[in-house]
Amino acid sequence: MDNREILVDIKNLRTFFYTEDGVVPAVDGIDLTIHRGEVVGLVGESGCGKSVTALSIIRLIPNPPGKIIGGEIFFHGEDLLKKNAEEMRMIRGDKISMIFQEPMTSLNPVYTIGDQISEAITLHQKIDAVEAKKRTIEMLHLVGIPEPERRFSQYPHEMSGGMRQRVMIAMALSSNPDLLISDEATTALDVTIQAQILDLMRGLQKKLGMAILIITHNLAVVAEMAETISIAYAGKIVESASAREIFKSPHHPYTYGLLQSIPKFTEKKTNEPLPAIEGMVPSPYHMPKGCRFNPRCPFATEKCREEEPEILEFSPGHLVRCFHPIES
Amino acid sequence: MRDYIIRRVLGMIPLILIVMIVSFGIFSLVPNPFAALIENPRIKKSDIQRLIKAWGFDLPWYLRFFKWFSGVVRGDWGPSLLYPGSLARDIISRALPVTVRVMGLTFLVSLAIALPIGIISAVKQYSMTDYIVTVVSFLGMSMPTFWFGLMMMMLFSVVLKRPSGMPLLPAGGIITPGLEEAPFWAKLGDRAQYLVMPVFVLAFSSVGGWARYMRSSMLEVIRQDYIRTARAKGAPEHSVINKHALRNAMIPIVTLVALSLPGIVGGAAITETIFNIPGMGSLIIAAEIKSDYPTAMIGLMLVSILVIVFNLVADIVYAWVDPRIKYS
Repeated sequence: MDNREILVDIKNLRTFFYTEDGVVPAVDGIDLTIHRGEVVGLVGESGCGKSVTALSIIRLIPNPPGKIIGGEIFFHGEDLLKKNAEEMRMIRGDKISMIFQEPMTSLNPVYTIGDQISEAITLHQKIDAVEAKKRTIEMLHLVGIPEPERRFSQYPHEMSGGMRQRVMIAMALSSNPDLLISDEATTALDVTIQAQILDLMRGLQKKLGMAILIITHNLAVVAEMAETISIAYAGKIVESASAREIFKSPHHPYTYGLLQSIPKFTEKKTNEPLPAIEGMVPSPYHMPKGCRFNPRCPFATEKCREEEPEILEFSPGHLVRCFHPIES
Repeated sequence: MRDYIIRRVLGMIPLILIVMIVSFGIFSLVPNPFAALIENPRIKKSDIQRLIKAWGFDLPWYLRFFKWFSGVVRGDWGPSLLYPGSLARDIISRALPVTVRVMGLTFLVSLAIALPIGIISAVKQYSMTDYIVTVVSFLGMSMPTFWFGLMMMMLFSVVLKRPSGMPLLPAGGIITPGLEEAPFWAKLGDRAQYLVMPVFVLAFSSVGGWARYMRSSMLEVIRQDYIRTARAKGAPEHSVINKHALRNAMIPIVTLVALSLPGIVGGAAITETIFNIPGMGSLIIAAEIKSDYPTAMIGLMLVSILVIVFNLVADIVYAWVDPRIKYS
């Protein structure tokens, strides 16, 4: 299908958290493939394991209580889970970068933004402070920060949330990574700023050609950006296809429910309430038997309550984890 | 910033005046020390009257204050009641260096031990090291110095002896009689051995508190988002802790340190008494008991002025370590 080289290949990743109240299978068998230069969306509700997947890729799961207990994460053909701490450190911020949800708290308040970006550069490139400063200013310019020379010596508290997220992006891209992970990077921002940041990321992706893994609960965000979308539910991928396919013909009842719950402005005004998926995300301590979505699924049968479905190719390139996929 | 400091320094003057009046006023609540002499049949009533008049105890307290204050303005702090024939100023200037030596050294030793172990026990929270540090900290904090001091004395001055039969460490005092005129290094070595036990006892009781402060401040910081950012850009662990976390964790500690510095001149009355150190703590208490207000007032004023000054120092240092703080 996609004849680009495979950049990241996550196979059956399992990351559990061992808390005092019990074991939380935050990620329980996630598979995900990202090609070189591809923009992939990973979508799901809070607690579905999408952020844990991202932190697993760069191996920053807080341990204890978290632990990657199984699976493989191939990056350029090498399993990241087999790398030692030092090898992993060299990859972080160099080949794989990450930006986070909270721009307000993600920058160190006591160092200037220039310091913080330069540090990311000098950690991975053998250049001196003057060169690093030049490169930092270039990066600030690239992410659309006005007056980069002046901004260089400013502290994070002197900037707005949108500006700080631009700084985070500049820092993440300063070493030309092959993969940028964006973990809800626009969630905390105002809608207009959100759109600006998404525009910026899209522009930079075209310019620099890195792959992006966009993690979000917001389908509109991936609709704008992603080529491929994976939908996660309760620690597993339930559906994966090209963005077009997902929006045009969702096969998994969960995906279908999510899409139904988006208000559409093209439809005639009705007084009908917006459809919502019944019930709640299962408690991580008590995962339902069988398909994890079965308690909320309108199509659930006895089989769904007993057996767990495998993820299967429904049509070329379109994977669904469901016994009763919806035919469109 | 400069205007701010000037304003604060000017503001200190009325504050110090108020402290003077209030502490003098409280002092005058102590009964007239000469009144008790009436019970002594060998002292003539007229002599008692003369003493009372000479010391100003015939005046109401505020007039006595003015009498004392007009002397203070001219640099005359008055004679000591506790040590007849000496000036109160001379009594204080004999005790002050002794106390500064013991307390200053204690302060340095306890910070030098407490800050690193606080950091280590935060970074390795719930590890064996952390538990040991915690237990020893609480042991030090909860052990009364008078008991611990005596136990130390038992061990190092009674049980353990040098080959010559002398105690391993002197039980009390500050210098071996006869060595006052010894060469510098001999004198230094002599004084050092008198300092070992009191400094150890005092440091042991304060290390715990500092270590706990450092630990909790560090724990607070290392779960911040910007620490994750530092790791995500590939910073090595020592830089994450010593650069990104420590500077933030030091912000509250710096204030605490600055605010506790005036304690260096206040002395530690109990420990000084046990180790027979002629320092400020025991001197001020003795002066207070004997109504020696000229001596006690110098001690009180010294401590009060330092408290006021170091409050300003704390604020200035605070602005220096935390760029978010601005004074105008």
